[in-house]
Amino acid sequence: MIRLEKVSKIYRTRRGDVRALDKVSLDIKEGEFLAVRGPSGSGKTTLLFSIGGMLRPTEGNVIVSNRNLYAISKRQRAKFRATNIGFIFQMFHLVPYLNTVENVLLAARVGTKSFGPEDAKSLLNRLKLSDRMYHRPSELSAGERQRTAMARAMLKRPGIILADEPSGNLDPENAAEIFKHLVEYNQDGGTVILVSHREVVDNYASNVIYLKDGHIQEYE
Amino acid sequence: MTVVQLIFREIIKRKLNFTLSLLAVVITVSIFVSFFTTGQASKNETIRLMRDIGFNLRIIPEKTDMAEFWKTGFSEHTMPESHVYKLASFKGLSYAHLTAVLQRRIIWKDMDVILAGISPEVPSAGREKTPMFFSIKPGNVYIGFEVARRTGLKKGEETDILGSLFSIEKVLPESGSEDDIRIYAHLHDVQAIVGEENRINEIKALHCLCIMKGSIADSITMLREQLLRVLPDAKVLLIRAIATAREQQRYMSEKYFAFIIPFLVVVCMAWIGILALINVRERRREIGIMRAVGYGSGRVAALFLWKAVLIGLIAAAAGYGIGTGLALEFGPAIFRVTANMITPEIKIFYWCLIAAPVFCALSVFIPAMIAVTQDPAVALREK
Ligand SMILES: Nc1ncnc2c1ncn2[C@@H]1O[C@H](COP(=O)(O)OP(=O)(O)OP(=O)(O)O)[C@@H](O)[C@H]1O
Ligand SMILES: [Mg+2]
Repeated sequence: MIRLEKVSKIYRTRRGDVRALDKVSLDIKEGEFLAVRGPSGSGKTTLLFSIGGMLRPTEGNVIVSNRNLYAISKRQRAKFRATNIGFIFQMFHLVPYLNTVENVLLAARVGTKSFGPEDAKSLLNRLKLSDRMYHRPSELSAGERQRTAMARAMLKRPGIILADEPSGNLDPENAAEIFKHLVEYNQDGGTVILVSHREVVDNYASNVIYLKDGHIQEYE
Repeated sequence: MTVVQLIFREIIKRKLNFTLSLLAVVITVSIFVSFFTTGQASKNETIRLMRDIGFNLRIIPEKTDMAEFWKTGFSEHTMPESHVYKLASFKGLSYAHLTAVLQRRIIWKDMDVILAGISPEVPSAGREKTPMFFSIKPGNVYIGFEVARRTGLKKGEETDILGSLFSIEKVLPESGSEDDIRIYAHLHDVQAIVGEENRINEIKALHCLCIMKGSIADSITMLREQLLRVLPDAKVLLIRAIATAREQQRYMSEKYFAFIIPFLVVVCMAWIGILALINVRERRREIGIMRAVGYGSGRVAALFLWKAVLIGLIAAAAGYGIGTGLALEFGPAIFRVTANMITPEIKIFYWCLIAAPVFCALSVFIPAMIAVTQDPAVALREK
C-alpha cells in the first residue's frame, strides 16, 4: 500500500547540508501497524511527512495507494491527503479559536465525502469527550486535546493514520489510551504508522523499524 | 468548517488585529466621503458665487491713453452709443447690469466738476434685477455732496448747466470719493449739452458671466477676443471679482484632495497589509494544520482575502456614515453659501461599497500569497 523507493531527504542549510533520510526503501502493507523508533534527529518526522505528502523528498519515490505522490500536482496531493491520510502530532496542533467539535470538523468539507457535526459527535463520544464538545483547546487537558486531534484525524476514516509522537506530551495513562484507539483503528482495517520513543509501542505494532542517521537499521 | 465560519471564528479570537485593520479603512473611507461630500458643495458654491457676483467689465474707446484714464477716471475719446446695444445682444455673455456713460470735466460755478450722463440700464434677457446704476429722468440731475456744499444748491431747486435748465432731484450723501464732485444726468441730456450726440465714452457691465465652458480665466480671454470682434474700436478692462479667487480656492482644494486621497489610500493599504502579515505569521501553525488536513491553496488564500473583503464592506458602510456625518456637521460652517447643498451623496456609498473591499483584498494579497506558499512541514515541526 505504501512503498518508499530509495527516498532521500537533504535539508540545505547555511551551515551545510543535513541528510535526514538516506536512500530509505520501505514497504508497508494495508492494515499494517508500523512503529518507527529511533533517536532524536534520526529522521522519523521527515519520513512521516514524506509519506503524508507534506514534504517532497530530494530523491526517490513515495508511492501510496498506487499513486506516485510527488509526481502529481500540489492540488491533487492536498486532495489526496484530505481523503486518505490522517495526521496526529505531538503538539496536537488544534486550531485555538475552534471548539472541540469544530476542530474535528476542520476538514469535514474538504475532499470528496462530506461529514457533519453528528459524525464528529459520535466519534467524540467514543473518545470520551462527550462533555467537552464545546470547549476551546485552551480549556482542555493534554489528553483531551490529543483525543480531539485524534478524532480530527479519524473523522473521514482515512486509510492511513500517521502519528508523530502522539504520546510525547502525555502521561503513561493518557498515552495508553491513545495507543488503544490507534490499535482499534488498525483492527478496523486502517493502516497506522506510529513514531514514538516509547518501547511499549512495540507491543501494539505488527512491525517495528529503527531509524538512525536516516537509515533503517533493523526491519522486523 | 466553511471558510466563512473560519473567518468569523478567527476574527472573534483576534479582535485587535481585525479592529486595527478596520479602523484604518474606516478612517480612510470617512475622510474620502467627507471630502467628497463637501467638495461637491464647494463646487456648487463656486458656481453660485460666480452667478451672483461674476466679474465686471469696463469698455472704453480703444484710443484711450490709459495713464490719463486712470488719472481722470474716464476716457477723453468717445465711441458710438450703439456699442452698448451690440454688447447687449452679444451671445456668450450674460450680465446683470449694463449701462452707457458719457463723462466730461467742466468748470461750473467756478468749480471743477465731472458731468456724468448715464443711460437707463439696458435690460438683460430673462432676469429681473434691481438697478445698480442711477436711473435719472431727462431734465433732472443728481448732484454730489461737495457740489451741493459749495454751491448751496438743495433738492428741488433748479439750476443751469451749460445753458440748459435742470431740476435737482437728489443731493447724494457724502461718498468720500470723486463722486462727491459729480453731477449725474440722463445720458441724452449730457450728450446734447456737450455736443456729443450718440457718443459715449464708457460701457459698464456689472456681474457678468461668460456663457462658456472651462475655467473663468480661459473663458475671459476668449470673451475678450470675441468682444473685440464685435466692438473693434473698443478696449475691454476687466475687474476680477471674488468668484475668480473662489474658483482658484476650489482648484486648490481639489489639488489637495487629489494628493491627500491617494496618499491616504497608500498608507491605509500598507497598514492593513502589515497587519495581515502579522496575522499570517501568527497563524503559521494553523495554516500548517489546514494544509495537513488537505486544504488547497485557494482555500487558504480565501481565508485572508474574504476577511479583507469583509473589512472593506464594514468599513465602507461605517466610513460612509461617519464621513457623511462629519460633512453635515462641519461642512455648513465652512461653505456658508451652499450650506444647504451639503447632502449625503448616495452614489459615493455604492462606489465605496465596491472600492473598499477591492482595495482591502489588494492590500492583503501579498500576505495571503505568503500564507499559501509557506512550508507546512516547517510550521508543524515547531514545538
Ligand atoms: N527544516 C529543516 N532544515 C534543516 N534541517 C532540518 C529541518 N528539519 C529537520 N532537519 C534535520 O533533519 C534531521 C531529521 O529531523 P527529524 O525531525 O526528521 O528527526 P526526528 O527523528 O523526528 O527527531 P525527533 O525525535 O527529535 O523528533 C535532524 O538532524 C534535523 O536537524
Ligand atoms: Mg520528530
